Amino acid sequence: MPRRTAVGRRSTALLAAAGLSLLAACSSTASGGAGGGSLTYLTFNTPTLTPAFWKDSIARAQKAAPGVSVKQVVAPSTDRDSYAKQLQASGQFPDLLQSITPAQYTEAGLLTPYEQSWIDQNFLLPQGNAIKGKVYIPPTNSQIIPLVFYNKELFEKARVTPPATWKQFLAVSEKLKASGVTPIELGGNDPFAAGMPLTGALSADVLGKNPQWIQQRHEGKVKFTDADVVAAATKMRTLVEKGYFEKGALNVSYADSIKDFNAGKAAMYPMGSWYLGSIPKDQWDTIGVFPWPTDDGSTVVPFAVGGSMAISTKAKDQKGAMAFAKAWSLDAGNLKALIEGDGAFPMLKDKTLDDYGVNVSPAFTDSYAFVTKDNTKVSSIGWATNDDALPGSLNNEFYAAAQALFNTDDVKGEMAKLDQAWDSATK
Amino acid sequence: MKPLSTWFRDASRDLGLRLIAAFGLLLYTVFIIVPVLMSLRSSFTDENPLKSGSTWIGTDNYTEMLHDPQLRASVLFTLALAVGVTGVANVAGLLLAMLLNRTRLTYRVLRTVAFLPQVVSGVIVGFVWKAIFTQNGLLNETLTRLHVTDQPVDWLGNPHLAQLSVGVVVAWVLSGFTTVVYLAALQNIPQELYDAGSIDGAGASQRFRMITLRMVAPATTISVTISLITVLKLYDIIQVLTSGGPANATQSTAQYIVKTAFTTNRFGYASAVAMFLLALSAVIALSVTSVLRRREVDL
Repeated sequence: MPRRTAVGRRSTALLAAAGLSLLAACSSTASGGAGGGSLTYLTFNTPTLTPAFWKDSIARAQKAAPGVSVKQVVAPSTDRDSYAKQLQASGQFPDLLQSITPAQYTEAGLLTPYEQSWIDQNFLLPQGNAIKGKVYIPPTNSQIIPLVFYNKELFEKARVTPPATWKQFLAVSEKLKASGVTPIELGGNDPFAAGMPLTGALSADVLGKNPQWIQQRHEGKVKFTDADVVAAATKMRTLVEKGYFEKGALNVSYADSIKDFNAGKAAMYPMGSWYLGSIPKDQWDTIGVFPWPTDDGSTVVPFAVGGSMAISTKAKDQKGAMAFAKAWSLDAGNLKALIEGDGAFPMLKDKTLDDYGVNVSPAFTDSYAFVTKDNTKVSSIGWATNDDALPGSLNNEFYAAAQALFNTDDVKGEMAKLDQAWDSATK
Repeated sequence: MKPLSTWFRDASRDLGLRLIAAFGLLLYTVFIIVPVLMSLRSSFTDENPLKSGSTWIGTDNYTEMLHDPQLRASVLFTLALAVGVTGVANVAGLLLAMLLNRTRLTYRVLRTVAFLPQVVSGVIVGFVWKAIFTQNGLLNETLTRLHVTDQPVDWLGNPHLAQLSVGVVVAWVLSGFTTVVYLAALQNIPQELYDAGSIDGAGASQRFRMITLRMVAPATTISVTISLITVLKLYDIIQVLTSGGPANATQSTAQYIVKTAFTTNRFGYASAVAMFLLALSAVIALSVTSVLRRREVDL
C-alpha cells in the first residue's frame, strides 16, 4: 500500500511536469505599455536587414529626431507579428513595430495612425497600405509578389520567349521540359515559397477580375470554393501534374531554390520581387523577368505596399515615437539598403532611383517598370497589408493548400479547407 | 513523552524542512498551478491576445474541438509519433546501453557522445537534420553516390516520408536520454546474477530476457513515460525541420496550440486545446505508468 502511494506521487509529479510547458504559453496577463524613458522598437534580422543595418539606421533616425532614445527588441524569427502578439500578451507591446501587419492590431486599437497630410506629402501611393482609410505604416516601399524570373540562356537554348498568356506559359514549360531543362524552380519546403504559384494564379485570375474579392469574402458574398477560384488554383495542380516543377520541389528549401536558380538548374522561378536582391552580379544579364501570365495576356501585377514602422497607442512618448518613425521612414539610406538587398521598390514622392545612389540589375529596372507603369495592380493575396490582408493564420493555411496540391487532385477540397479556416479566423 | 529540549530541536529541524517545502510549493503554485488555472478559465472564454476583455462562452471551445479536422489530424500525428518514437528510442537506448556498458575509457567517451543528442538544443537539431534531409542534402548525396537511388528521395516533401523523417530525428534525440537511463540501470545489475544464470545453463538470449529485461524494468517505466510526455508536447524540432508541413502533415498538437494562440489570435480556443492535451497526457502517462509498474511487480 505505501508503495502504491509512492507510485501515485511519482505519476502526479510526471503529469505536472508534462503540463508545464504546454500551458505556460496560453496563460494571459494584462496588457501594459512599455516602461522606462526609451522607446522600444521591434525589428527583425534577414540577410539584408542585418544587425549593422539596424544599428546605423537607428542612429541616423535618432540624429534626425533629437532627444529620442530607442531600445531595440529583435524578434527571434522573421515572423514579427507572432512575436509582437506574444509581447502584447505579456504586457510588453513595443512602442515601435517594424513591418508588421497592421490589420491584425487596428481592431484592438493598438496602433496610432499617421497624419494623413504628412503621408500625402511624402508618398506616391498614400493609401497603398491604408486600413479603413487610415495609414498605420508609412508606405515607403512596395513589392510585386510573385514575379516570374527566367534564365535567358535556358530560354534561348529551348528557343522560347517570355510568355504573356497562361496557354503560352504551359507551352513554354513543355518546350523547356522537352529540351531537358527543369521548367520551374520552387523552394517548396518553406511554405511561403510553395505558395508562390498559387498566389500568382489567384491574384491574377481572381483579384485581377474582381479587385473587391477579399472584401466580398469578408461579407460572405464569395468563397474559395467558387468556380473561378477553383479554376485558378487548378492551374497550380496542372503544373504539378505535368511535372514542370523540379523533382522533389517540396524537399527544396527557399535558400537552396535561390542557389539552384542562380546556378541555372531551372529556367523559371516564381518569387517575390525581393529575389532581385539575390541575383549575383555575374548573372545580371542572364536573369529576366515577366509578370505572372493571365488567360488573356493582360498584365496584372500582384502588388503589396509595405513600409516602415507602426506606432503603438501605448507608447508613452507619442510625439517622440512619431518623430523617430518619420525620420526613419524618410531616410534615403534605409531605402537604399532595401532597394539593393531586398529588391524593394521605393515609394517616396519626387525621387528617382538615382536619388538613392543605388546600383541595380536590369531585372530590377524591368520589374520597377511594372510599378511605375499604368497597369492593373491588385492586392497580392496573402501578402497585402491593407484592407485586403487575410485574417488570422489564413496565410499559413494558404501555403499549406499550395503544398497539398502536390499530393492531391482534390483542388476544391483544399479550397473548402481555406473557407473553413477563414470562418475560424474571423470568429 | 519527549523531553522539551528534543521537542524544540525536532521542531526547529521540521521548521527548516517546512520552509524549504513551502518555498517549493510556492514556486510550484506560481509557475504551474496558477497558469493551469488561468488557462482553464481562458478555455471557457473567447479571449484574444490583442483585446483587453473577453466573454464567457461556456463550453463552446470544447464543442468546437470535436469538429476541428486540423486538430484531429495533429492529435493523431502526435499520438502516432509518441508511440513510434517511444518504442524506437527505448529499444535503441537499451541496445546502446548494453553496448556501452563497459569500463574502458573508450566506452566512457562513447557514453558522452551517445548523450549528446539530448543535450543539443532542439532548434539546432532541427537545422542540422534539415540540412541532412533536404533535396541536395547529405543523405540524398550519399544515397545517390552509392547508387542506392537514382533520384534524390523526397524526405521532407512527401507527407508520409516527412512524418517518418520527423520520427527518426525525435527518436535519435530521445535515444540519448534512454541510453543514459538504461545504462544506469544496467550498472546496478549484480554480475552474480549473470554468473548464476550461466551456471544454470542459460544462454545469452535467456540471460537477456530473464535477467536484463527484468532488472531494468523500473528504468523502463521512467524512460517510457518521460519519452511519451516529451513527444506529446513536442514543438521546437518540428517547427524548424518541417514547419508542420507539407500541408500540415507533420503539425504537432503543441504547434497547433501556438499557431491558434499567436497567429489566429484565439487564446481561448488554444487554451481549450492545451487543457485537452494536458488531460490526454495525464491519461496516457497514468495508464502507461500503472501498466509498467504492475509489470515490474510481476517480473
